[in-house]
Amino acid sequence: MAHALEAISISKTYQSSDGPNTVLRNMSFRAEKDEFFAFVGPSGCGKSTLFNIITGLLAPDTGSIVVDGSETTGRVSEKIGYVLQKDLLFPWRTVEDNIILGLEIKGVSKREARAMASDILKDYKMSGYERKLPGELSGGMRQRVALMRTMVTDPQIILIDESYKALDYPLKIELEGELLDRVKGSGKTVIFITHDIEEAVTLADRVYVMKARPGEIVEEIKIDLGTDSHNIPERRMSPHFNEYYTRIWKRIGGAHAAVA
Amino acid sequence: MPTPLSPEPKAGKTLKMSTHTETARQAARRPLANLFPLTSNPIGRRYVLIGLQVAITVALLATWEFGAQAGWINRFLFASPSMVWDVLVDRALSGELLEDVWTTSVETLVGYIVGAIGGSLIGLGLWYSRFISDLSAPFIAALGSIPVLAVAPMTIIWFGTGILAKVMIVAFSCIVVSLTTSYKGAMRTDEDLINLMRSFNAKRSAIFLKLVVPAAMPWVFSGLKLCVGFSLVGAIVGEYITSQSGVGHMILLGSSNFSMNIVLAGIAVVMVMMLVFNALITLLERFILSWERK
Repeated sequence: MAHALEAISISKTYQSSDGPNTVLRNMSFRAEKDEFFAFVGPSGCGKSTLFNIITGLLAPDTGSIVVDGSETTGRVSEKIGYVLQKDLLFPWRTVEDNIILGLEIKGVSKREARAMASDILKDYKMSGYERKLPGELSGGMRQRVALMRTMVTDPQIILIDESYKALDYPLKIELEGELLDRVKGSGKTVIFITHDIEEAVTLADRVYVMKARPGEIVEEIKIDLGTDSHNIPERRMSPHFNEYYTRIWKRIGGAHAAVA
Repeated sequence: MPTPLSPEPKAGKTLKMSTHTETARQAARRPLANLFPLTSNPIGRRYVLIGLQVAITVALLATWEFGAQAGWINRFLFASPSMVWDVLVDRALSGELLEDVWTTSVETLVGYIVGAIGGSLIGLGLWYSRFISDLSAPFIAALGSIPVLAVAPMTIIWFGTGILAKVMIVAFSCIVVSLTTSYKGAMRTDEDLINLMRSFNAKRSAIFLKLVVPAAMPWVFSGLKLCVGFSLVGAIVGEYITSQSGVGHMILLGSSNFSMNIVLAGIAVVMVMMLVFNALITLLERFILSWERK
């Protein structure tokens, strides 16, 4: 059976005034269905380049991306949805109209799309917010709406770029827990790109540790916290948490001494 | 005259917190507040301001009128408020005033639609092709550097002495400003939002219509608002060159007969027209950009 996602020897070099700047070198990885995995690395490890290559918004210089058995290198795949740190809501669109943006573009009828929006809003406990504008929502709600906009198109792979970094800590914990509830066991693949080691260890089944300049995978670590709980504080209390944390920390510190 | 050229759209959010966030204690520290206790209260402050503004206007007009009656203001050079008022009443009763205002309004409005709206559409449309926009940039800059006054006589030769020539002058005076501000707005569309649209496999036309156009609206409107002033100036300049009616015609006629009362009445009419046009565009902006204030 095909992997949900497979990247084979991805490299990307930008030409800058100081000469060629290799951002990603020879990155190979794969992800399965129903798996939650994370890339964790220091800044400068080419996170956003990697993100754009996986989504197909950017073509790598070498290598290929295979989604569910078919090559999508440099092409946007409908099977991949993403959530960024910035919520990227359109301020002139209501919550409902923001949620149906992707459906609208895919040509789903307005009525059907609205029904789907109403369902997902209920599911995320935000019924009644249909006609609100993003400017009237709190940061956490905006992130939820952004997640709904992605989830409503039912992507097989969800790529998340540190989306909760800008939120305060309790809210971040709450949203992370919600995310686990929604995707674990749904058959979807979630890829988290972050430089927050705690976040990676708490959420992921597997972590790819990266180093910077050029971005490269230095280690692949399987995470088993010994709990099935989706409660974030509980997961962090796992006796193995610190073990993984320290291991990754050392790996990143060793690969990139400037990170303190 | 139009407001100073400032194509930056107002920073939506920060506007909200103006005088209203000031605490009573802060306000009390200011000397004006001690003189006018009402000014420490935001609503009271508003009325005090309006009251003072009206009072200053009345005082100026009264001094002018009194000076003219008493003879220490030269009525031949400066007329007087009552003389200006008489001109307005006479012309309103004879229907001349309505005709002049109508002519100038039509010229301004049609020219505005062609120039400002048309220019905005072209500016937004240039987003589609980086190549065409780069190619046309110096030509647009060259066009923008020509003063309206310089082309006005030529316009008369090309388009005749009728309303069409004025419409063209008005359009010319708006098109470059609205084109460049709306183009700038379109090009400022957040790259991440464009990528989001691309990740949904949106076609270029969908990105343009669903994202670029609404995102550029604050810029489009800042251009459209600047053009209100330019278009009225354009219409009046056109009427100065040649005209049978219009407020510019009225002012020109007044000055060639050394009738300052007619000239000043014409200027008063222009001021009112400008206020009305500005109010209309601001209303439209509030309606279309209502999301910006949320």
